[in-house]
Amino acid sequence: MASVTIPGQLLGPTSKYQPGPGTHIHQTNLYSSLLGVVHVSQPVKAPGPAKRLNKITPAPAPAELPTISVSRSGVSEKREVLPEVGNVVLCRVVRISPRQAVVAILICGDTVLDAEWQGVIRVQDVRATEKDRVKIYESFRPGDIVRAEVISLGDQANYYLSTAKNELGVIMATSEAGNTMYPVSWKEYRDPETGVSEARKVAKPF
Amino acid sequence: MADRRRINGPPGATIPPIYEDASDKSVVTRQPPRSRPANAIRQTYLKTGVTPSASGSAYLEVEMAGKPGVSGLKLSCTVHGPRSLPRSSLFSPHIILSTHVKFAPFATKQRRGYLRDPTERDLGSHLEAALRGAIIADRWPKSGVDIIVSIIEGDQDRETSRQQGDEAWDMMNTLSGCITVASAALADAGIDCVDTVAGGVAALVRDDADNGKPKIVIDPVPSEHDKIEAACCVAYLPTRDEITNLWFKGDMPDDDMATYMELVQQGIQASKHANRVLVQCIGETVG
Repeated sequence: MASVTIPGQLLGPTSKYQPGPGTHIHQTNLYSSLLGVVHVSQPVKAPGPAKRLNKITPAPAPAELPTISVSRSGVSEKREVLPEVGNVVLCRVVRISPRQAVVAILICGDTVLDAEWQGVIRVQDVRATEKDRVKIYESFRPGDIVRAEVISLGDQANYYLSTAKNELGVIMATSEAGNTMYPVSWKEYRDPETGVSEARKVAKPF
Repeated sequence: MADRRRINGPPGATIPPIYEDASDKSVVTRQPPRSRPANAIRQTYLKTGVTPSASGSAYLEVEMAGKPGVSGLKLSCTVHGPRSLPRSSLFSPHIILSTHVKFAPFATKQRRGYLRDPTERDLGSHLEAALRGAIIADRWPKSGVDIIVSIIEGDQDRETSRQQGDEAWDMMNTLSGCITVASAALADAGIDCVDTVAGGVAALVRDDADNGKPKIVIDPVPSEHDKIEAACCVAYLPTRDEITNLWFKGDMPDDDMATYMELVQQGIQASKHANRVLVQCIGETVG
């Protein structure tokens, strides 16, 4: 089913579908909120019998309904996306201070952003352990490319980002001599030409 | 603003003096009276995606009254965003809408300045109110969208003199065009809306041909009528059956509630006509 909808077009009752991106609910009916192409995705069934519960989790939404969504993919590639809480983003360090590193978010998920959004990695969000010994200048330098996770929409100007995971941190760095360095440990990058190593919060390679 | 270094032309349109000739009375140009039915809008052309550099854009033309094929109203709308807010602004959990309406200097008979004048501000705030009811603002936290409507030609017949027709009524038609074109540009930009909002105008007119009996017409052209008593511009969501903006202007008896209601109802009707054009236009961009 690939049909075109315009904003305000009726898609179906909420008893039949779950709302996905590009839709909204009004009076128990689902309507499109974008100009785009309709997709209906069937819910994924958990393979095999469900695991015995060993922790308390919030009751999952009744997942037997298919999700209906409207995507702009067929219309234009210019769809702007915003960083959301939980997204993994790639960003460039703009400037550092003892309290925080200011970064420019370049890529959100798989999408290259049109606009440049500003983010902040505070000193307590750099790593998960020994938080009180973190020094920003031993973790990031201006110009580094950092993989980080969005933890909050933040204040008026900045998204708050965190690198407190093994896979998060600096993925590309240049040395003071201006050469691209390679990682040697979780907190060190080394310059291949001068052999000098510099401290960074290094992202674990996949 | 006044350009002293050049020899500027007169600020308004000039028409050559016409001397009354006893033998020939037909020289005095007079707009022919309205020929289309009272419940029909003029032919409208709408196209989206005209400005490649903008996130969304649309272009609208409305034909000139009594001259099929010649356009009277030309609007171009660009939508920029969603984009990050300036650093000075406060945190906003929803999208911040800012609308700018600007007349081109040559858009009307009276030449317009480059600075925004009160009419343009007024149109901008009406447009903002009309669109705010249609946008799902909380889908885009911490971002802003700029909607810029350029009026390239402002629905005025150059051949009528300045005394004929009143600018206040032209503004109504212009606003309804602005709403429709901005709605198309928003859909093109991919900003979440609950519905496609379109503008429509209805007016209570008095014509000498009808012995001065007032009647209600939609999409009025001021120069086609002898007198416009009142007019209202409606921004309407057809599937929701909601009005997001209502601009009522004119002179009407206080106690005549039925006429008020009828005028708004006809405005909705005009908006539904405009919405048909809108739906067809934005449907075509995907097909």
